[in-house]
Amino acid sequence: MSGKRRNRTIINAFFYSFAGFLFLYSAYLFLSNLDQLFVTEAAIKTREITDIWGEDREILNQFAGGFWKDPYFWKSLNLTLVITLITTLIATILGIPTAYALSRYRIPGKSVVEILFSSLMVMPGSVVGICLIVMFNYGPLWKLQNLLGFKFAHSIFPGMVIASLVLSFAFGMSAWKATFDSINPRFEQVARSLGSSRWRAFRTITFPLAKSGIVAGIILAWTRAMAEFSAVLFFCGTFRELPASRFSDLTKFLQMDQADWVSVAVWAQVEFGNIEYGFALAFVLVLLGGISVYVMHRIGAKGYVW
Amino acid sequence: MALRSRGGWWPALCIGITASILAVYILLVTSNWIYLGWHDTLYFFSKSRMWERFWLTVWTATVSTSFSLFIGIPAGYALSRFRFPCRYLFASIIDLPIVVSPAVVGAFLFGITTRFPFDWISEYYGIYIGRNVYGVLLVQFTVTAAFCARLMKASFDMIPVRFEAVSHSLGASPLRTFFKVVLPMAKNGIIASMIVVWARAAAEWEGLMLFVGATEGKTDIMPFAIYLDWNGGMMGWVTSMSIVCILMAVSAISAMKLIGGRSNVW
Repeated sequence: MSGKRRNRTIINAFFYSFAGFLFLYSAYLFLSNLDQLFVTEAAIKTREITDIWGEDREILNQFAGGFWKDPYFWKSLNLTLVITLITTLIATILGIPTAYALSRYRIPGKSVVEILFSSLMVMPGSVVGICLIVMFNYGPLWKLQNLLGFKFAHSIFPGMVIASLVLSFAFGMSAWKATFDSINPRFEQVARSLGSSRWRAFRTITFPLAKSGIVAGIILAWTRAMAEFSAVLFFCGTFRELPASRFSDLTKFLQMDQADWVSVAVWAQVEFGNIEYGFALAFVLVLLGGISVYVMHRIGAKGYVW
Repeated sequence: MALRSRGGWWPALCIGITASILAVYILLVTSNWIYLGWHDTLYFFSKSRMWERFWLTVWTATVSTSFSLFIGIPAGYALSRFRFPCRYLFASIIDLPIVVSPAVVGAFLFGITTRFPFDWISEYYGIYIGRNVYGVLLVQFTVTAAFCARLMKASFDMIPVRFEAVSHSLGASPLRTFFKVVLPMAKNGIIASMIVVWARAAAEWEGLMLFVGATEGKTDIMPFAIYLDWNGGMMGWVTSMSIVCILMAVSAISAMKLIGGRSNVW
């Protein structure tokens, strides 16, 4: 018996070691970059590898690039948080009815719809960005924009929201659909047989039952919107170098002018040569992502994969 | 009858929103074909530059997926079956590379490749991991390993623990139980997850932008080549390669649905 138990411990340790490897790899990945925040040999080495060390560039030679003093950082963070909140709101308002319809009603070609939304999860971000550019900058939508007198692409307000909405909606929708799938439709049928309307049956029966799943889907949609990079890069680009006259009064009032999407700013700063600054922004993103994924684990949300 | 139609605006609203959103998404996915046209699509598909990049994508994604599976299947089993203190904290840290933006992960790979195991490997074996195809493999592995573990955890979660308990009670060793009971039962889920992981590896490019950079014919896997050609202003190449990527993603997901797996772990 004791031999068997020892055998079992060894096997368990075998399985644990792989999970432990993943944990150590991930932790080491993030911790080994802490010294990039300081102006050290490692940062200089990274600059040499990336080969973008130019003489004419303004390099912030201090800890983490002094990001807390830079209005660019605060404006970028403000921009990203405001846009992701708007995106999550739109995704929630549109996504819950869509998920409910796909879960409950007989819609022709449902499997095709499922394949479409699932394939968005493994579609390269660059393809999503190119699709958005091609969709809005050519053909009938381009004519419509000319008629209306404003452009969707390379703008903050409709542009960034559209770019982050595409995948955020798809992920949130799949989460809500799974939640509605897991709730027995019988409860609603009983409510309707007792005389309540369809809307009331949804509001008083299904919605309260699905509440935790809906909250999980909202966090998921927000996290995915925060992790968006390629669609924003392709569809909106960077705004830092643009003159102040390009921005509307609303964006100036909201302190969002001459700022970037944070993950695009990481890329722009590292390419620019401000390694410390770029990594400081990256650690801010890691912190936000870590908090939201921890919350998702705590409330028992099972799935978020992309 | 009057009772039935009361509140009928709610399903009408649901189906209306669904139909309009589907129209937008279908237009989004098909916009490249509409832009490019049939004739130009055929022209770009007959070029060898396209297929060199396609095969580069396929083989790098296959190699990195096999590494991810090697780590991911046992790790997913451990995450699915074992309970340990601070489980959520550990799981959150394992999930971090897939939760933060992949561009950020690409930036973080700078630090890890100049440190202990990697500098040792490059010194003793002369394998330099960085601006070459090994860098591509490392980026794909980093992003898909945790992803693979999550999908495998979902596949193993679907199997009741009872079967293992019965197998143990009949005297089978844990390893025998794993190979003879758990793996055969999870086979479909594992194959389906494998396809999704492969498609995810083939879709990875954000990390390459910072960490690997462009070398024509060496590191420009297809999603990355889209970005490069877009910067070069070659719209025909960009849209035709987008079509190939969309077809890859859609066919991978269709194959997965055919096998009967699920792309997400809900």
